[in-house]
Amino acid sequence: MIRDITLGQYYPGNSAIHRLDARTKIIWTLIYIVSLFVVDSFQGFAVAGGVLLGIILISRVPFRFIFRGLKVIFFILLFTFVLNMFMIDGKVIWQWKFLTITDEGFYRACFMAIRLVLLVIGTSLMTFCTRPVELTDGLEKLMRPLKVFGISAHEIALMMTIALRFIPTLLDETDKIMKAQQARGADFESGNLIQRAKALIPILIPLFISSFRIAQDLALAMEARCYHGGKGRTRMNESRFSARDGACAVLMVLFMGVMIWMRMYF
Amino acid sequence: MCMSPIIKVEDLTYEYVSRNEETGEETVSRAIDGVSFQIQKGEFVSVVGMNGSGKSTLARCLNGLLLPASGDVFVAGYNTRDDDTIWDLRSSIAMVFQNPDNQIVSSLVEDDVAFGPENLGVPPEEIRERVDEALNAVGMYDQRRKGAHQLSGGQKQRVAIAGAVAMRPDCIVFDEPTAMLDPQGRVKVMEIIRELNRRSITIVLITHFMEEAALSDRIIVMKDGRKLGDSKPYELFSDEALLKEAGLEKPAAIEMRDRLVSRGFQIDPKMTGEKELVEWIVSARRAGAVAESRLSHEEKTSPEGFSRKNSGRSAEHNVVSDELGNDGESSSSATSVEDEIVAEDVRYVYAPGLPDETVALEDMSFRIPEGSFVGIIGHTGSGKSTLLQHMNGLLKPTSGNIWIRGTCITDGSAVMTDIRKRVGLVFQYPEYQLFEETVAKDVAFGPENLGLTGDELEESVRKAIELVGLDYEKVRNKSPFELSGGQKRRVAIAGVLAMEPEVLILDEPTAGLDPQAHREILEMVDSIHRKRGNTMLFVSHNMADIQQLADQVMVIDKGRLKAMGTPEDIFSHGRELKEIGLGVPPATDIMMELRDRDCAVDDRCFTFDEAEREIVRYLEG
Repeated sequence: MIRDITLGQYYPGNSAIHRLDARTKIIWTLIYIVSLFVVDSFQGFAVAGGVLLGIILISRVPFRFIFRGLKVIFFILLFTFVLNMFMIDGKVIWQWKFLTITDEGFYRACFMAIRLVLLVIGTSLMTFCTRPVELTDGLEKLMRPLKVFGISAHEIALMMTIALRFIPTLLDETDKIMKAQQARGADFESGNLIQRAKALIPILIPLFISSFRIAQDLALAMEARCYHGGKGRTRMNESRFSARDGACAVLMVLFMGVMIWMRMYF
Repeated sequence: MCMSPIIKVEDLTYEYVSRNEETGEETVSRAIDGVSFQIQKGEFVSVVGMNGSGKSTLARCLNGLLLPASGDVFVAGYNTRDDDTIWDLRSSIAMVFQNPDNQIVSSLVEDDVAFGPENLGVPPEEIRERVDEALNAVGMYDQRRKGAHQLSGGQKQRVAIAGAVAMRPDCIVFDEPTAMLDPQGRVKVMEIIRELNRRSITIVLITHFMEEAALSDRIIVMKDGRKLGDSKPYELFSDEALLKEAGLEKPAAIEMRDRLVSRGFQIDPKMTGEKELVEWIVSARRAGAVAESRLSHEEKTSPEGFSRKNSGRSAEHNVVSDELGNDGESSSSATSVEDEIVAEDVRYVYAPGLPDETVALEDMSFRIPEGSFVGIIGHTGSGKSTLLQHMNGLLKPTSGNIWIRGTCITDGSAVMTDIRKRVGLVFQYPEYQLFEETVAKDVAFGPENLGLTGDELEESVRKAIELVGLDYEKVRNKSPFELSGGQKRRVAIAGVLAMEPEVLILDEPTAGLDPQAHREILEMVDSIHRKRGNTMLFVSHNMADIQQLADQVMVIDKGRLKAMGTPEDIFSHGRELKEIGLGVPPATDIMMELRDRDCAVDDRCFTFDEAEREIVRYLEG
């Protein structure tokens, strides 16, 4: 289960999507997210889904890999679906004891579920097609204007690089600690809420200690490799906008226009 | 050799201040105390010594990660105290650390290698060039677009080395680079280090493995922050008093050489490698001058050591099997009462139905008789850990069954807490799972989960702590985090022992320890087995340990049980073991090497005693 988390993973490839400048992809993703909230009809989702499908096909990331990421949010999905289905008033279409499903509820539940799925696939697609370093470099450049407010874009970008790098390491670590405590008879699966929360202590403390150890080791390793902030740093792959990025910008505007138009007329 | 030294350490002292939480008292301890030495350009110097001897602190003083309390460190003419030149200094002395995982900054291999040159402000085209060159130097160029988490420990360490090489340093400091790797990864990393040295990069290697230190030009011995010795490998390894004081061991070839010397043979004292020793034996026999060169001698008494380790072990074996009333040879009989663990056709598929679906275990069938001590060998990724986790129900087989003393634990009817009480599993680096405020509380975690309370609980905790060789009264109220590495590991093992399992499984209990702590843990494991007489399984990469302790050995390769038998059976198939990337005990290795040189020796020698006798017999014709 823990290994199914594909969040922030990179799927190596050399497709047109992979070769886009990270900044283009970040802005595309932002616009895509906003459009999902602008849209209020299934037709709108169909358009967004169609565009997404097109991008997936161009990116050549296998569908199996993409759906694996969804497995993790399955419970969140189910939860919102059930909650929406039973909680929203409207014309009753099905009833059993205190449980009722209304047409409005069913509609909203499907609506929310589709939105969530599109959201997760779209955002994870960006990380699948962008090397972590490019992604954080892109963010760094996009955030550069924030310097006015005393925010160091470089530091934020570096933190993200490290976070992405260590997600799999910490997941492995968690898995190991959980198993080790289970071998000592710890039980994470039964008991009431308080008991379950208490059962987490033997996992959380070693995990914290581990994280601090990793942080300490990493800081030393970075210093030994002459890291001293963003000043005077160069990049192996300097990102540059190409004609392809220009074309994407046009498509972006077009896409946003269609989404707003759909909102108004459907 | 160049006249000007690249590293100059002058009367270096490093202190750290520790505060006592309760009293607020501050105590100053000296991690390094008045150390001086020089290293010439192109030299390969090892630093050895027990954990806590100040080796790692010394390494960190070399590149200015730590600054001296007094004295000076110069690298390539720069003083580590000089803030203005610290980046020049660090770019000429790169460093590779112990834990391969914790020193890789970027998710992607080539991006990580670029990290150093990027920090130095190298132009992009040149970074590309350096990265490709560095990745080629460590043989990782083909994996350059892979994610760091997809690599094995050994591969990660090679990436870390590439990251150091890409900075084009004059010198690289390696801080126990092989401590967390399996033998294959270890060999590869050592090859790379030697190759870098041939390319005239100065090497400082901190290590616990004497075989590795023996490869260097010079060895610096540390103890309690002081420099105890600084000499050529052959000089160090012939200084018995110094070795003992520093808690070190001899490499296998030197151990054998010394045994032969004490038998009266005259061998060049400068000889340190196995190849040279074998060469000597071959030519000595050929020369036939052996008889003349021998001096009179007394039969050496066999060294103190493990109770069960001696040349007469096979005889003792029979006694053990007789006592059990169990004929070890015939395993064809149906489930007998004496079988502690029985596995039948166990198969485990990882991530079924997903793109990375892999068969982790297949066709696993075996029986482990009660009271036996089973050594499990196989390289990283062979399925050992997966198998161990099946034995106490942490993983369920995709198909097949496992019985613990007649109870099937895989048919869904067994209660998990019951199985975990019966089969205790100690993971690798178990000290990382400690979490309680005091040692006693931590050890009590397991038995408490099993429902023990009050006196009964305290009794089981006390017994477990004493069983691992610690003083209960002394450590019970200490925080486990205050203890030394070896002690922490003991406490963690006690945490499992306190559950009084019938079967105790240990996954590499000696990983990452210095030679002395290694020996102590091994003795402890042996004594637990003798005192409790229970079934024990342990995984190790150290074939000498397996040979000393185990009465049965399981060889696992690519998820299958390749072979199972007594250590003698298994290790007499040395060539097959080597084919699947495993080793043999060091004494056997020397004998196999002799066989390869067409010497008429019996290579089924597993201890130094046996090998010594056989070589003497051969030499005397």
